Amino acid sequence: MKDFYVTIGLEVHCQLLTQAKMFCRCSTDYIGKEPNTLICPVCTGLPGALPVLNRRVLELAIRTALALRCEILPQVVFHRKNYFYPDLPKGYQISQYDFPIGVRGIVEFVSGGSKKRVRIKRVHVEEDAGKLIHEGPSLPWNSSGVDFNRCGIPLVEIVTEPDLRSPEEARDYLIMLRSIVRYIGASDGNMEEGSLRCDANVSVSRDVETLGTKVEVKNMNSFRSVFRALQYEIDRQKALLEKELPILQETRHWDETRDITVAARGKEEAEDYRYFPDPDLLPFSIEPKDLEEIAKTIPELPLERKERFMVEYELPEGEAGVLVQEKEVADFFEECLKEFHKPRMLCNWMLTEVLKNLNELEINITESKISPSNLAELLKLVDKREISGTIAKGILEEMFKTGGRVKEIIARKGISFITNERELEKIVRETIEKNPQSVADYLSGKEKALHFLIGQVMKVTRGQADPELAKNLLLKELNSGE
Amino acid sequence: MSKKLSLEEMKKVAQLAKLHFEERELLQFLQDVNGIIAHFEKLDRLNLEEVSPTSHISWSQPPTHGDEVLEWQEKESIFQYAPQVIARYFIVPKVVEKEEK
Repeated sequence: MKDFYVTIGLEVHCQLLTQAKMFCRCSTDYIGKEPNTLICPVCTGLPGALPVLNRRVLELAIRTALALRCEILPQVVFHRKNYFYPDLPKGYQISQYDFPIGVRGIVEFVSGGSKKRVRIKRVHVEEDAGKLIHEGPSLPWNSSGVDFNRCGIPLVEIVTEPDLRSPEEARDYLIMLRSIVRYIGASDGNMEEGSLRCDANVSVSRDVETLGTKVEVKNMNSFRSVFRALQYEIDRQKALLEKELPILQETRHWDETRDITVAARGKEEAEDYRYFPDPDLLPFSIEPKDLEEIAKTIPELPLERKERFMVEYELPEGEAGVLVQEKEVADFFEECLKEFHKPRMLCNWMLTEVLKNLNELEINITESKISPSNLAELLKLVDKREISGTIAKGILEEMFKTGGRVKEIIARKGISFITNERELEKIVRETIEKNPQSVADYLSGKEKALHFLIGQVMKVTRGQADPELAKNLLLKELNSGE
Repeated sequence: MSKKLSLEEMKKVAQLAKLHFEERELLQFLQDVNGIIAHFEKLDRLNLEEVSPTSHISWSQPPTHGDEVLEWQEKESIFQYAPQVIARYFIVPKVVEKEEK
């Protein structure tokens, strides 16, 4: 079996987080809205309507390009990309061609335990298209419905050089890219809702020097489907090469339900977009002082932050990586640390209990009812061994549900503080007296009887004893009585 | 070395624009377009070393708008231009990406 060389490049579209559309002032808040309610003559392409650029689009796109370490071009020029499709009312999309926002960037990320870097070819802005529906109770046979609510929402397109070598790398790059656009507030990066979309160019070759035939894969709408579609496509191309069959240069669609890629329209014809500068939009100059202002708005990015967490808080790489993925989670962590300075313990609680509760409630940390101070207060009690970990988990769950401060929940639920050692000794002695049979069983070698006795102690203390301490005290008592 | 558009290329441009023309019309366009190309060739002979490409003749910074929503009040009127509207959708002949085996 000969070696295969896989080359992947990704094109990612992110909806920019603006209130108004790119060239008109219709709302971008289109999810779940009635069709064609967020429209105007500009975004529906009525004759005579003229586009006026939303300044915020340039700001967010430049911020994105800077965060991806691109060179920013001094002039922004909009081009018309011409093609016919019913979701594109003007017959062209306003996009960019030879003067994008930024070029030659770099993204670093970790994949398979080592640091990788992918070169960014270009970052440009363009408008989103409308949406088509092909099925519906009132839709006549052989027709489609068009909704222009999404039409004109600003997108930033981020194109990599073909530097990715495996589906894992493609997925890990994408996770890092999403993390970056979220950190800088440029996009919410939600793949399921379509605010982050990914197309891939994949080629497989038997020769490290030459690239194979490029196949474009579309319609992947989760990190998992990107991974699986690329895996499928690579296997398909390898199988063709094995049989010495030709690989066609084409566009293929990922079919999630069938787990395969399917050939779509022929490529040559579709690629003839006849770009030309849009005469309705003048070129914009980007002033160095504007760039400086925008650069100041870029926060510490995920990778730098992870590295700082590893040094400053001595966190393991894996944990630090998960902690920094969402800016809000990392912010919460650092805020909490100000009041409870035990990074390892806090990190463990964040990555297990806090994230578990967030997942169960399907909310993010900013929507949750607990504040960093609340969590710090709870962990201080655990740390001082005033309440057990198990009890604290229950209190945390309650905090997520009802909010409120730790002490209030403790009072409301009638939770008493952990039984101290002297009290516990008393309870242990009582338990032994009340359960002579179990004591006898234990002394005759039945280990299980000890677990029963620990259970009894926990029951009497209503779970508020430290089980480890209870066990030690029991053993001490039992062995001394021998 | 003058560049000229062929009748085939002219047909392809028409097809991409989804416009249908008679052969004699295409021949007329061909003549016009080739005239324009010939004019550009004249421009090519000028020394433009110091001149950057012009994508627009105006040099002022263009107008922009801020990121505030302003709802269009007459959006219901747009439906009168549509041949068919059902449940607020504009209805068009069915479009399906054709799949090849």
